[in-house]
Amino acid sequence: MTHTDISWPLAARLARRELRGGAQGFRIFVACLALGVAAIAAVGSTRAMLEDSISSDAREILGGDLLVDIVHRPASPEERAAMDSAGIVAASAEMRAMARAENEQAARTLVELKTVEGTYPLYGTLETNPPLPRDTLLAQRDGIWGVAAAPELLSKLGVDIGDKLRIGETRFEIRAAITHEPDRIGGSGIFSLGPRAMISAAALPDTALVQPGSLIHYNYRLRLPENLLSAGVIETLNETFPDAGWRIRTLDESSPRLTRLISRVTMFLSFVGLTALLVGGVGVANAVRAWLDGKISTIATLKCIGAPRALVFRIYLLQVLSLATIGILAGLVLGAALPMVASDLLAQVVPIRISSGLFLEPLIVAAVFGLLTALTFSVWAIARAGDIPAGSLFRSLVSPTKGWPRAPYITLTVLLGGALAALAIATASDAYFAIWFVIGSLAAMTTFRLAAAGITKGAARLKDIRRPALRLAVAGLHRPGAPTASVVLSLGLGLSMLVTVATIEGNLSRQIAEELPADAPAFFFVDIQPDQIDPFRDLVAGVPGFDHSEQVPMLRGRITAIDGVAASEAEVAPDARWVLRGDRGITWAREAPSHNEIVSGEWWAADYTGDMLVSLDHRIAGGLGLEIGDTITVNILGREFTATVANTRQINWQRLAINFVMVFSPGVLESAPRMHIAVVHAEPSAEDPLERAVTDLFANVTSIRVRGALETVSALIGNVGLAVRLTALITLVAGTLVLAGAIAAGHRRRIYDSVVLKVLGATRRDIVTAYILEYGLLGLVTAAIAALVGSITAWAVVTYLLRLSWSFEPMAVIVTTLIATLITVGAGLIGTWRAMGQKAAPWLRNE
Amino acid sequence: MNNLSGAGENDTPGNSAHAQPMIALAGAELHLASAGGNVNILRGINLTVERGETVGVVGPSGSGKSTMMMVIAGLERPTGGRVTIAGEDLSKFNEDDLARFRRTRVGIVFQAFHLIPNMNALENVAVPLEFAGADDAFERARASLETVGLGHRLDHYPSQLSGGEQQRVALARAFAPGPDLLLADEPTGNLDGETGTTIIETLFDLSDQHGTTLLLITHDPAIAARCDRTVHLRDGLIVKAEAAS
Repeated sequence: MTHTDISWPLAARLARRELRGGAQGFRIFVACLALGVAAIAAVGSTRAMLEDSISSDAREILGGDLLVDIVHRPASPEERAAMDSAGIVAASAEMRAMARAENEQAARTLVELKTVEGTYPLYGTLETNPPLPRDTLLAQRDGIWGVAAAPELLSKLGVDIGDKLRIGETRFEIRAAITHEPDRIGGSGIFSLGPRAMISAAALPDTALVQPGSLIHYNYRLRLPENLLSAGVIETLNETFPDAGWRIRTLDESSPRLTRLISRVTMFLSFVGLTALLVGGVGVANAVRAWLDGKISTIATLKCIGAPRALVFRIYLLQVLSLATIGILAGLVLGAALPMVASDLLAQVVPIRISSGLFLEPLIVAAVFGLLTALTFSVWAIARAGDIPAGSLFRSLVSPTKGWPRAPYITLTVLLGGALAALAIATASDAYFAIWFVIGSLAAMTTFRLAAAGITKGAARLKDIRRPALRLAVAGLHRPGAPTASVVLSLGLGLSMLVTVATIEGNLSRQIAEELPADAPAFFFVDIQPDQIDPFRDLVAGVPGFDHSEQVPMLRGRITAIDGVAASEAEVAPDARWVLRGDRGITWAREAPSHNEIVSGEWWAADYTGDMLVSLDHRIAGGLGLEIGDTITVNILGREFTATVANTRQINWQRLAINFVMVFSPGVLESAPRMHIAVVHAEPSAEDPLERAVTDLFANVTSIRVRGALETVSALIGNVGLAVRLTALITLVAGTLVLAGAIAAGHRRRIYDSVVLKVLGATRRDIVTAYILEYGLLGLVTAAIAALVGSITAWAVVTYLLRLSWSFEPMAVIVTTLIATLITVGAGLIGTWRAMGQKAAPWLRNE
Repeated sequence: MNNLSGAGENDTPGNSAHAQPMIALAGAELHLASAGGNVNILRGINLTVERGETVGVVGPSGSGKSTMMMVIAGLERPTGGRVTIAGEDLSKFNEDDLARFRRTRVGIVFQAFHLIPNMNALENVAVPLEFAGADDAFERARASLETVGLGHRLDHYPSQLSGGEQQRVALARAFAPGPDLLLADEPTGNLDGETGTTIIETLFDLSDQHGTTLLLITHDPAIAARCDRTVHLRDGLIVKAEAAS
């Protein structure tokens, strides 16, 4: 007895012969896999397409081979000389400023101001309308500087080409509209608070916007000779100027924020796609079980004439795999084609040039996901098929493919499920979220499985129902072979995903659109110089509708060490990493901020002048592993300051107050160049006069309208929410497919039932009522559980991941319930309608 | 134990002491638990069948004929007693060992033919040989089909064959590996009289040619009478055994 008799080639030969009979009953199987794989492949391909577009245009997006970013100060002559010796340099200053129209309305708006010099752009081309050479575009003409403005700026201010506008203390003539700025997102990123205004570097001094402490990024883009490696240049620059405090970005990080956003959004979309695949998995399991039930005789015959269990397992595994391949391939084709079709649409949302193409890696990942799902959900039934006793040829058996398979196959199923989870975690850009997704899906699947068992048992216990239609409906939920379990599981998963997504989005928009503005300030004013603070305070207080304001000094600094360990090497919790990313606003204070609560340690005395102390946000301190008495080192304007942690504060970030992660003790930082920021609370009617008053008097001060910023964020959430909801719909479609499959499987039963009922005198109306009740009950119960599971998931995400306050979203639940009932009753009735048309006699004869 | 049950053992014609019998059932019992309590299907069967012997099994429906055959084929494990086939104690085999044992040593013919619907005649016959790793599986299958007169139907699928043809394919499949023992469960039960006769002729011819031991369940006394011996079952017991006159 050797292992040759269970060889794969023999199994393949027999599987091929078996498949000749066609793959009846596998349409749902193939569709479920195709749908899930398509969702994952489409999301992955979209991500690859965007990332590829970014990396292939990296030079244009970054604006050079290297970008040296210095905050607050321009490069020293020595630093500039070192850059010049490495390659061609294009220097620019980027900041936020106010632009005012010189028209009747004197409209004003915040602009993202950028100065450029003759070498700009080093890569790509600046396109304007009308197209003008650089000299004509920005140079001084008749004593007036030129400005190129984004079209939004023109429409916001109600001005046109040739009109004048004021930026800071200077007048500019609008010479052209910018139609394409190659390095738009490489500099300030994709989240801009205002439209672009581009001026000549030579015009900057005239604006008087450059004040001590004002937040200006001096960006030096370098075009290196081809033989020079950027790593070498960075090393030389850092070694020669170790205290420069600059941040040097290479082509790999041409647009880190956009890349991060893409990876975040696509990760969540992949999770939704994966849920669709899991829902489809239920359909896969149903299809395989039903198919194998029809193969009992063949399997028993094979075993009678000498096939060992393992060979039977292989024969049917190979058949399932071949059909899975068809589903996966269909999904891959769809998933690869979708992003290509949608690339034009994407280009309107993502501000980069999108080059579509075929990306292999995401397709391979999607295929592996599909394969693992197909295997995880079918091995159980196939293993049970291998256990069909050969003796069943001599007697009929009921549902032989139910129950537990042998231990090795249980282990195999668990391993496959584990591999699926591992792949989900390994391919996610954030393992932490992915682990929670896996735990959540397992919990949801278990809940639905248990709920289904509960419904079946509960329905079986319902006795003494007088109304025949209701009695039939309840019986339909628990009779042997009822689709209750698979419908509750698959449709339930799809629906709870929908509830989760809708509830999270509802919570987000409610907070941003309704709750935040309730106590949100009207304005943030930034770049207020120390000598402007008193007149500023008096000015705003005098505007009718003014409520109150708060001003604090602000500097910017970068954390370089945590308790003596370099920040790059410190172990930091994922939700605290953002603090180490680039510069953070910092301040000092004598008194503890009134809206913060001291959680540990003590605030320093108001007249404290000793060694530098720092107060930290409590959660961030925990994330950085810092305790009272530990130290933190911050680089401010090129100098390193080490402070001892004195206390931690609980900050409510949802309140739009001025909050700082780090508040230092007074004394040391007071002499550093700084500016102030202010929040002003005022009635909506006071917003225009306030902005006018402040920006008229202080040309260098920039105002940020909170309402406008919130609208921008709302719009972004709306866009992302739409993408997530559309993907979540795929989950629901998968659930509906499974439902359709389950109902189709019961088609013969339904025909027989309706024939017998007709014989016994039931009218068509009686029968239809019974089915409506049966599927209505199923839909309602499924929706109720889905609403519960979805709401709990959303609560966990909102409370623990997004750290926002949670509220129940009744609309999400109502809509879900309606959808579920409509789908189940609809699908059930379509099936029933076909059954009703059958003539009784032939069925009675056949049966 | 019922006295009559021993009749088969004591009254075996052609009993040769020097060779091990092909079938030796000693007190074989089978009880199945069911919702209505224990069902005793076999209640202690003693039966010895020598090599090359043909034995007819008759009895009313539910008497345990098919179950006895399943026990002999290793398709059902007895709950009591001992089953020895060709000198091998079947209780020592696990399920896969039994499958491998059947593959070359035991051929089975069913009333409902049980051909594999998606395989043609040639493939159906070749399957057990393929399981056994025979390189010449298809040549032997072809030869076997020619023996039963179906050399011209090799490519036909079961659905394209008549009932008699299907049963001939089943016979070819059962005999192709050259088994020592052939078990036939009412092989003519689904066939008309004339076709049934042809099948029975073929069955006995092949058994003769191969020297195969034959255990044949039948309702037809005439067919049973062609066997060397007939055993009668009732309520899970052998109630009578008679040698051919």
